[in-house]
Amino acid sequence: MKRTLPFLIILAVLGVALGAGWYLMRPGNDSPRPENTSSAVNSAVVSSSPGSKVSNSANSGAQPPHAIGPENAPVTLEEFGDFECPPCGLLHPVLKTVEKEFGPRLRVIFREFPLVPAHPHALVAARSAEAAGLQGKFWEMHDLLFKNQKTWHEEFDARPTFEGYATQLGLDLERFRRDASSQVVEQRIFLDGKRAHALGVKGTPTVFLNQREVPFESLAPEKLRVLINAELTRSEK
Amino acid sequence: MCEWTTRSGDVSAMSLQARTHSSSDYGVPDNPEAGAQPRKEVRLYGAAALVSLAGLADSIYLTAEHISGRSVKCTIVSGCSEVLSSHYATVRGIPLAVIGVAAYFSAFSLATLAAFDYKLAGTLLTIVVGVMFLTTLWLLYLQAFVIGHFCQFCLLSAIVTTILTVLVAIVRKAFSG
Repeated sequence: MKRTLPFLIILAVLGVALGAGWYLMRPGNDSPRPENTSSAVNSAVVSSSPGSKVSNSANSGAQPPHAIGPENAPVTLEEFGDFECPPCGLLHPVLKTVEKEFGPRLRVIFREFPLVPAHPHALVAARSAEAAGLQGKFWEMHDLLFKNQKTWHEEFDARPTFEGYATQLGLDLERFRRDASSQVVEQRIFLDGKRAHALGVKGTPTVFLNQREVPFESLAPEKLRVLINAELTRSEK
Repeated sequence: MCEWTTRSGDVSAMSLQARTHSSSDYGVPDNPEAGAQPRKEVRLYGAAALVSLAGLADSIYLTAEHISGRSVKCTIVSGCSEVLSSHYATVRGIPLAVIGVAAYFSAFSLATLAAFDYKLAGTLLTIVVGVMFLTTLWLLYLQAFVIGHFCQFCLLSAIVTTILTVLVAIVRKAFSG
């Protein structure tokens, strides 16, 4: 009996561990959220994309996503970006061009993927964009951050600059400051990061066209245009 | 009538023992009923097994939160999201928390077996805990100097691994050889 006892103990612990893991992963086991947090999430839903579905499935990223273009567009371009990453800054005007060119046939989604150790301001920038999103100005802040990337990238503390952008966009500054450090914003960034990890994103910018990863070297405007057209043709078939 | 068992002092049994290795050479207890293992050693391995359970619970919680996509909330420090959503939270796509579950479960199993006088388990436990301790030092460095944030669940794991290391070091020093 003494010979088998340790194995029985190990098996019992394994069973309890598997049971505990299963219990914690149950979909209904979400930790309770404070009232103000859920209302803030709801306001984010309204401000960033009215009428979009809220999904709770794991690894679907923050919901609703920050998106430009109709939900039923034949082509969806999903970018995982970091506001402090120079190639993301270079991709920004390219995406603006294709957005205009393809209009309602293209839906562009931006996902936060701040490369925290490499880019010291990336997380604060992501928080600022998300906080602006809670006041319905995500894309405006997104554009300002990318356009002025070289300026604030050099700064020791970029927060005053981001607050300046918030003022420039007519945001409630007190609320912006509060939201930037809120759980809601933190969770949105966290969920986008989870989605990135699930999709195997290693760096930024990483772009998916209709869920297919676009190689980095194909992000030049002419190549991207060809790929979007190919997706459009595929969707028409 | 021939009997399988031999009496103490039987010549054939003695010669058999002389020709064969001790079963403990293969990690199996020599005589589990004899109670030859010092009580303090058993207690230390038992304590190591219990401490491993705390680390196992911590890792299971983090794994569950990672897989279900929920945000881990820090209540003592404020850097859980920064740490757990950083590049360092996964190794080749495998969440560190999952590796933690495997490590703590191995430590628990080996400590339990060592407490029951499985000699090889004690040696393996020393190796596993040594690797865990070095990994913990590396993760603490990343949190302090690279990510710039601390996650309380990672700190709890660091404390558990440190206690495990101390327990294993004491037991090895006192009872090895």
